Amino acid sequence: MQTAIHHFQKSRLGAAALAVLFLVAVFLPAVTFARNVNVNRNVNVNRNVSHRNVNVNRNVNVNRNVHVNTRRHVDVDVHHGYHHDYHPIATAAAVTATVAVTAAVVGSIVSTVPPSCSSVQVGTVVYQQCGSTWYQPQYYGSSVQYIVVNPPR
Amino acid sequence: MKRMTTLILTGLLLLAPALQAAEQPAAAQEAVRDEEVIKRLAVMGKYLRSLKVMAVQADTTTEDVMDNGQKLQFTGSVEYLVQIPDRLRLEVKNDRHYRVYTYDGKALTQFSPGLGYYATMEMREPVGRMVLQVKEKYDLELPLADLFLWGTDKADTTGIKEAVFIGLEQVDDHESEHFAFREDGIDWQIWIRPGDQPLPDRLVITTTDDPTQPSYNANLKWNLSPQLKEADFSFVPPKGAMKIDIVAVDSAVKQ
Repeated sequence: MQTAIHHFQKSRLGAAALAVLFLVAVFLPAVTFARNVNVNRNVNVNRNVSHRNVNVNRNVNVNRNVHVNTRRHVDVDVHHGYHHDYHPIATAAAVTATVAVTAAVVGSIVSTVPPSCSSVQVGTVVYQQCGSTWYQPQYYGSSVQYIVVNPPR
Repeated sequence: MKRMTTLILTGLLLLAPALQAAEQPAAAQEAVRDEEVIKRLAVMGKYLRSLKVMAVQADTTTEDVMDNGQKLQFTGSVEYLVQIPDRLRLEVKNDRHYRVYTYDGKALTQFSPGLGYYATMEMREPVGRMVLQVKEKYDLELPLADLFLWGTDKADTTGIKEAVFIGLEQVDDHESEHFAFREDGIDWQIWIRPGDQPLPDRLVITTTDDPTQPSYNANLKWNLSPQLKEADFSFVPPKGAMKIDIVAVDSAVKQ
């Protein structure tokens, strides 16, 4: 086993220098001609959560460019990419779940709630109450987001 | 006349580099896909699949891109405890994000110690299929999930367009073999330990279909004989923890 590997390494040493040159040649154009891609994970995810008496429409009043903390990649991680069916490894398709909202319209989604909110549980459901606005937290992937809902009481 | 010839010659000389430059991109597109390198990946995969327990600790660097195109870097850590076939514990930590995952073969729980929220996803699959299912069903990507896919039929290498061996390099206290791969949308590099324990020592993934080309970097440390307890894989909600939903992506799209 050991011998085979060493042999493999030796035969590759010469190729290494070539490979480095080659990589430089390949990478430079790739950087120069960067493609424009708009990756947007949250579009077209419409839900009708009738048991909550809330009509959730994720596309209402969503404005992605408001806050500095808008990040295209929320937790960039790895994955598959070795199969054409998969999203590329990691970062690739990782997009923000950070969505800023222009008004507290029922059904709109935010990534954070104001600091003055309080956590309230009604029945088995957890809410964040911020004055007259109620948010229901949920996970989307590994991110927590808050949907504006009708006051539960 | 002589002067004219000189002028023409000078002109040609000046042109020469430009012509050469124009030819370069064509040469650069010649892809090298070294089958020996693909084989090394398979050997590593086979070895990973032979492990019954593992503890992997990784120091990570994540690059996030703001909407103005500026790239930000965050450091963090990933810690896996795995017992094949269907026990897993994972802690993902960085400055903005802390999640603890426990999988007991019946359900995967995602818990945010900072927020106190947890969600459970019912799942009765071996670890390798579980990581794919949560991605498909909940758009939940577990970091370094490739560790559980290499060596299975899910790690299809046909998408690899280029594969080269770069050289032997130092990683922590030992030497490791550096390989580079290119696929549609990603360039990735892996450092594989030579010898009879071909473990990945380091992984770098660069997204190439984003103009800013963000990278993810993980330096891995392995313990192949960890002390594992059943409690590592089960979730007991701490006091004050609150259960919330996790959006099922596939059902959401269908509605």
